Amino acid sequence: MSFASMLSGLTKKKVRFVVVGGVAAAAHGSSRVTNDLDICYDAEAVANIAALASLLAGWHAYPRGIDKGLPFIMDGRTLRNAPILTLTTSEGDIDVMDRIAGVGPYDAVRRHSERISALGVRFRVLDLPSLIKAKRAAGRPRDFDHLPELEALLALRK
Amino acid sequence: MTAHQTAVAAGADLKWIVNSAALLGRRVRYNRQQARWWGLVWLLNEQLGLSLKSAAAISTVALRGDSSSTQVIAGADPSGSASLIVDLARYESIFLANLSRALVHETPRRRGRPPRLGLKSGLTTARHYGVDLGLIQSAIRRTPAERLALLEKNAAFVRDMRRRTA
Repeated sequence: MSFASMLSGLTKKKVRFVVVGGVAAAAHGSSRVTNDLDICYDAEAVANIAALASLLAGWHAYPRGIDKGLPFIMDGRTLRNAPILTLTTSEGDIDVMDRIAGVGPYDAVRRHSERISALGVRFRVLDLPSLIKAKRAAGRPRDFDHLPELEALLALRK
Repeated sequence: MTAHQTAVAAGADLKWIVNSAALLGRRVRYNRQQARWWGLVWLLNEQLGLSLKSAAAISTVALRGDSSSTQVIAGADPSGSASLIVDLARYESIFLANLSRALVHETPRRRGRPPRLGLKSGLTTARHYGVDLGLIQSAIRRTPAERLALLEKNAAFVRDMRRRTA
């Protein structure tokens, strides 16, 4: 159960994704600890949906915060019909989204991302200015509470 | 659950739920069971074009049965030539995905206008907010790989602590 195993699984399956949320913030220097990996995936490519769904099914993905044992089918149809999936898996917690508030769908997210190498994997993370926009657009108290640190990171990097 | 969370769990528009409830003469309650019911009514009414009254009646029939059934015949003509089958396993999967999103992701938003951090410099605001700038400066000196290795280590520690205290 680790970010490394999830990121490695995603890249091995050739899933087109960009890391967003807390892990992206940590990659840019945030000191906040997050327990879930947030990704934005390419929902336009049928093969990408199938690859991601099969990977998540292999990890026994189940909706987070829901009583165990209820019927849940993890496949491409469920992925297509739920634009944001908050899942718990054998590899760790993961949120998969087909678009990011304040940034847009996968193509826009990818345009505002940068490639990094970490945890033995090469992958893309949302850039810091877009991450700030996304946090602002999400509008939840926990996102707003994160903004001063991210704004400071942006100011110090300039 | 809030009204917004109920609508997200149902996969339906909140205004549609409120208006439909008025048309059906039902009181709207914001909870998991109602979200499950409204979600199916929304699908039948908005996606299949059934009348609201029929969609409501069919949803009640489809969802009152044994939860282990995967398919329910929610309606049929007297000759049995045409019937409406609800794939409960599929519906429940999508409902649970939306319910999880509602509970985990769609937590209540902050009311009012967001703080305008741009009026002051990012550093001034951060200092005012109590952010440790020294910690940020030391994080900036690390590479992304070093930062994520540290996150991995800290996240594992937090998970372990949660397991021990659970």
